[in-house]
Amino acid sequence: MLNATGLTKRYGDVAALDDVGFELNAGEVLAVIGANGAGKTTLIKCLMGLVKFQGNVKVDGIDVARSGPAARKKIGYLPQNPAFHTDLSVAETALFYADLKRVSAMRARQLVETVGLGEHAAKKVGALSGGMRQRLSLAVALLAEPMLLVFDEPVAGLDMPARLELRRLVLEQRDSGRAVVLSTHWLEDVPYIADRVLALERGKCAFLGPASESAAAISPLSRLYLRLNGHTPDAIGIIQEAAPAGSVARSGDWVVVRCKALDKAMVVERLLASGIRVLDFRVEEAPAETASSFHDLTHEGDIR
Amino acid sequence: MREIAVIFRKELRDAYRGRWLIAFAATFALVALLLSLVQGSGGDIGQQGFSRTTAGLINLCLLLVPLLALVLGASSIAGERERGTLATLLAQPISSSQVIIGKYLGLVAAVWASIALGFGAAGMVMALVSPITDVNHYLLFVALSAVLATAMLSIGMLISVLSDGRLKALSIAIVAWFVMVLLYDLGAVGLALAVSSSGRTLLLVVLGNPIECVRILAIMSLESDLEVLGPLGSYVANEVGTGAGITLLGSMLVVWALAPLAAALAVARTRDA
Repeated sequence: MLNATGLTKRYGDVAALDDVGFELNAGEVLAVIGANGAGKTTLIKCLMGLVKFQGNVKVDGIDVARSGPAARKKIGYLPQNPAFHTDLSVAETALFYADLKRVSAMRARQLVETVGLGEHAAKKVGALSGGMRQRLSLAVALLAEPMLLVFDEPVAGLDMPARLELRRLVLEQRDSGRAVVLSTHWLEDVPYIADRVLALERGKCAFLGPASESAAAISPLSRLYLRLNGHTPDAIGIIQEAAPAGSVARSGDWVVVRCKALDKAMVVERLLASGIRVLDFRVEEAPAETASSFHDLTHEGDIR
Repeated sequence: MREIAVIFRKELRDAYRGRWLIAFAATFALVALLLSLVQGSGGDIGQQGFSRTTAGLINLCLLLVPLLALVLGASSIAGERERGTLATLLAQPISSSQVIIGKYLGLVAAVWASIALGFGAAGMVMALVSPITDVNHYLLFVALSAVLATAMLSIGMLISVLSDGRLKALSIAIVAWFVMVLLYDLGAVGLALAVSSSGRTLLLVVLGNPIECVRILAIMSLESDLEVLGPLGSYVANEVGTGAGITLLGSMLVVWALAPLAAALAVARTRDA
């Protein structure tokens, strides 16, 4: 369905994307993860043929660089910040893009209803909220019943119900046989929706494989605040054993542990097993952008 | 073709909804009527109304039409890029060439409509208050205005594709207008005269600017004696021939309408959305 090889995009001397490649089959969801500036959006723009790049992208065998319009007939695209003509109404926008994609006006109206914008059909796009624009963008993306859906950070700015709705939608699309490329920096979405994961770090592929194997390699960071029963010096040694890639610091009564999210349960488990009581605890999860590189974690000043 | 037609229709609708089509038409009509009124107050409006008005309108429209067309063309693609709507458009099954051609044709049709409406309405009012004696010159002038707008829109589109933002595009368009309308006569023609005052050199200089092409064509349509154009007129009349001269100038206007557009298409193919 989607085949990308040797994707490289340079802005001057800087490689925003450096020799990235992957394949995606029908009925699969690929999550593209990485920090801000890792190259996610550049990769998406290459897939869409919106920027000039080196390498090859083929959608259902059609070369995006050579036959962009033909390839894009098979793609539905949901950008990070959907930009529509603000003087058009919701209905006019849907009809305009339906016309471009050679889709009937009836389907355009149906999709406006489906995404929950039916009662806002006469409203100007300029008057829509960010969430409503995302919905309109989704309707436009689905117009031509594409074989491949490309979502660029669709959860940015969405509240939790909307994110859950998006997860449901992605799974629905996958189950209907569509391939989905989903760029996100919220790693907690990944296990729920992705079959495969492509992790980008400074434009390079840091991980490519099944989502089930990605967790260990790309686990996000957690900050664990522990209030212990007075055995802090002993506890620090135990914590360092339980989370070897993490860092430990003291902050008043609290012990602050910064570690891979996967290790945090082990930290508590080891402490309890050693007879150290945990009087209280609090957990802060970090999105991918703060966990993009384990260099950050292992070279930080307060580590051991 | 369908994709071009979709963009074309949207551009026309935007021109109508944005009111600029009507505003331009009203401006053209007002300018034509005011000029007709001013010249009519000098005496013989009934006898030579259209010819006199046409002669007066030429210089005014050689300033106004290029400015409007350059500004419209320059803000088209650059504006879409700045708002992010160009990227949204190009993420659809459409090429950058189709977007540019659709927008160009839409703008050309809108400007033609405003010229036809404006000068048409003014012409009808003039015809109502005085007998029509020479409507052909007036119609030719209207047609030349439309052709000039087409060429200047093409240049505007090239500026638009080359520019990163709307403001930059508009700034370049204003400078281009200033150079082509005001400085060209002084600079290029002056230089040509300094290097060689031959009619051939002057003709080459005229061909290098669509505004000059239209100016000379308009004068040729009003004046049977080309000597009024000096060495250029003599050269055209004696060496080239009036018919061939008109064909040459007309052909050059077609080149001016197509070449910048072709360059814009080529540049767009190499640019990121």
